Amino acid sequence: MTFKDNLRRFLKEPLVHFLIAGALVFWLMSGRPPDLGERRIVVNERVAGAIAQRFHDSFRRLPSQDELDGLIRDYVQDQVYYREALALGLDQNDEVVVRRMRRKMEGLAVADAEAATPSDKDLQALIDKDPARYAEDPRTTFQQVYLGADTPENRAQADIKLKQLRAGQSASGVPAPLPARLDGASASEISGMFGDEFTLSLRNQPTGQWLGPLASGLGLHLVRVDNRAAPAPPSLATVRQRVENDWRAAAVAKSRDESYARILKGYDVVIELEK
Amino acid sequence: MRKAIALTAILLGSTALLSGCDKVKQAVTGKAEIANTAYPEKVFWGDTHLHTSNSPDAFGFGTRLDPEAALRFARGEEVTSSTGQKARLARPLDFLVISDHSDGFATVKNLYEAPRAMISDPTLLRWYDLLHKGPEGSMQATAELIDAKAKGTLPPEILNPKAAEDMLRKDWLSHIAAVERYNEPGKFTAFVGFEYTLMDEGRNLHRNVMFRDSGNKAATVLPLASFGTVVPDGLWDYMDAYAAKTGGKMLAIPHNSNMSNGRMFMMTDPSGGPMSAEYARRRLAHEPVVEITQIKGDSEAHPFMSPNDEFAGYGTAGWEIGDLMMVERSTPEMQPGSYVREALKRGLLIEQRTGANPYAFGVIGSTDSHTSLATGDEDNYFGKHSGVEPNPKRATEPQNLGTRDGRFGWNYLASGYAAVWATSNSREAIFDAMMRKEVYATTGPRMTVRFFGGWDFKAEDLKGKWVEAGYARGVPMGGNLKAGGKGAPSFIVSALKDPLDGNLDRVQVVKGWVDRAGKAHEKVFDVIWSDMDGKRKLAVGKVPAVGDTIDLATATYQNTIGAPELSTVWSDPEFDPSLRAFYYVRVLQIPTPTWMAYDMVKYKLNLPPEIPLKHQERAYTSAIWYTPA
Repeated sequence: MTFKDNLRRFLKEPLVHFLIAGALVFWLMSGRPPDLGERRIVVNERVAGAIAQRFHDSFRRLPSQDELDGLIRDYVQDQVYYREALALGLDQNDEVVVRRMRRKMEGLAVADAEAATPSDKDLQALIDKDPARYAEDPRTTFQQVYLGADTPENRAQADIKLKQLRAGQSASGVPAPLPARLDGASASEISGMFGDEFTLSLRNQPTGQWLGPLASGLGLHLVRVDNRAAPAPPSLATVRQRVENDWRAAAVAKSRDESYARILKGYDVVIELEK
Repeated sequence: MRKAIALTAILLGSTALLSGCDKVKQAVTGKAEIANTAYPEKVFWGDTHLHTSNSPDAFGFGTRLDPEAALRFARGEEVTSSTGQKARLARPLDFLVISDHSDGFATVKNLYEAPRAMISDPTLLRWYDLLHKGPEGSMQATAELIDAKAKGTLPPEILNPKAAEDMLRKDWLSHIAAVERYNEPGKFTAFVGFEYTLMDEGRNLHRNVMFRDSGNKAATVLPLASFGTVVPDGLWDYMDAYAAKTGGKMLAIPHNSNMSNGRMFMMTDPSGGPMSAEYARRRLAHEPVVEITQIKGDSEAHPFMSPNDEFAGYGTAGWEIGDLMMVERSTPEMQPGSYVREALKRGLLIEQRTGANPYAFGVIGSTDSHTSLATGDEDNYFGKHSGVEPNPKRATEPQNLGTRDGRFGWNYLASGYAAVWATSNSREAIFDAMMRKEVYATTGPRMTVRFFGGWDFKAEDLKGKWVEAGYARGVPMGGNLKAGGKGAPSFIVSALKDPLDGNLDRVQVVKGWVDRAGKAHEKVFDVIWSDMDGKRKLAVGKVPAVGDTIDLATATYQNTIGAPELSTVWSDPEFDPSLRAFYYVRVLQIPTPTWMAYDMVKYKLNLPPEIPLKHQERAYTSAIWYTPA
């Protein structure tokens, strides 16, 4: 692809039009007093077309001749007042103007990122930066016998029942809407059901034997961890959706911050306040 | 010329047009199938009622977070709220329905971002200027907007959705695209939905609508506006047309019956004539689930109809005095049509007369947050709208839409969530569970509750595999008892505390029935409670209170009272096989601090005495119905 092709493609991008347009708006509103040339207000076909188009956007029909005349009169009045107001510096210290301009600038800064499509390389880089975030939770398969609240009596019961279980007998717990066995449960599933404390203490237990009691947000449990499966490292194929969402959210935030930092560099911010 | 116009339009227009188109293209399609279990083994938690910056009132009240932020927050990410505060849920939700108002969908956002010169309607111009004036002006504009909606005086640009259809389509597609990007079957389910903000003057007849289907199907229709109608029939027509056109499904969830002044659950059809069986069936087919609790109050039961229920009237303060807009004050005779327990009884009465029950619905809770933040926890409550995100004044400030009176910040509840017994965390499984009403509501805490009805359940069943037995020999919540059983029906009831929240005080079964004379009755049975063989032994018919461990100086409590789990098999001692009846479960937590109590400690406040600092949070299950053979 030649430079010319690139340029042509570049100029066709609506985004580029948009940025150029934005720069134009910014330049127009940068607060210089209008020079003589700007005392000319021209209403040509292009301006009238734009006015008609905006009317159409709002009302789904073209304006009548009378309406268009009214809108053009309004446009001229807007322009006259607008230019005079700029000349008088009325845009200064007006919070509404300031906020609106800032919003426009931020909109320009992030439009790029919002429209962009990340490459697989971009996404893979994001995964490599924080693989833990995209890794599947470790999966735990375990059985549990729920003994109710954490009381001295229930702790005593726990010892008796633990002996039964270790001797290969069955032992029943307190009835509750809680599964006796979880197959390949993720840490967040276990936390949702039992609380974080339990998930953490479960992590350090040996497999293949009954033990406990372990405390949870619900009370006491006897537990047997049967299997723990370490997660496969995250692959782009399995986490594409999440990583793409993160990529876009981060890209939007980043371009907003970077564009601000870039503009800020051109300014000297002096805080004349006692600490 | 055309090209010039396009370029100028871009020059002068907003960024929304461009980014909107691109977002649609980026929608993710074709998700992996996930496996369903044989019966529902897990309860999934979600919010079916959340507003973002696309809702006109939410935007006007200051919410700037879009659907994407709402989805990220619900699935557990940290976001920065519209007032600049870091926000994160203690536990992620499993599913979310963003239900932005279809009436004026995204219009206030668009109005705010429009070029001022193009606004010719004087009212819109006034609102535009108010919106740009800062938070107070913005509130004022929103209050006027809501008021104009109630009075039917909205400007034609908003009222006429046809005129703004292209704009609406663009916003709707962009909304759907965000939902699609975050729907991850098996991990987090995002539904397409909207709120149908039906009102009869100020009377609240709102419904949330959710789609079972992919964004591609949902994109074949636009969200239906409610302008110009005061009855829900048009919504049902719309749902039917969608089903016929796409083979897809929607369901509608009525909410805030508490501010309908008796119109939500009428004995008659909307015209005032007797309700026909056909009408009753049509209503239930479209509206299988009702939102019983949320920020703007709790609609379970009111002491006026339930004088013998000492726990009736939770979260009714402020909301009970009038309709949503306070156009009309509530009178006692209006109340029965405004509360869910009464509706369940009315359903039996209508069924006795016509053979069809319009109100045999299930119940869920949801937030109705207008902040994009689905918060239902008292200690992490982000408020009804961005004006009442955490700040020292929010408990005491008046919350009057526009110029009206009567409601205050403390009337808001940090409530609630929807609990769904589904066979997987997917659109299809969760939607289908709602259709069969295997769902329940909580005021925020995530208690696990099972409820099965049958004819031969015995206490011994609880020692074995009782969940399997429940499904094999009975029906779960939301079901109809199979007729023809011997003796009285028996119920397996099992409740487990939220691992991060308070212990349980008691479990109750609420029974409603209709006698031969055609009169409805109700009775609340305490079926199991903590320490029931010890300190709380039944004295003279009444269960002693569970006590209170709250320390208001620190807004903390101890789980040294109550029980972590309460399970029993209960049989109806007053069963009459010839009478229609329903049974549902209410679970009460021990007293815990309200969000106002947490605010009081955080901001070192002195709050006036009428503000409740303690409450007993609760779960309500969908009912199980009995119909004589």
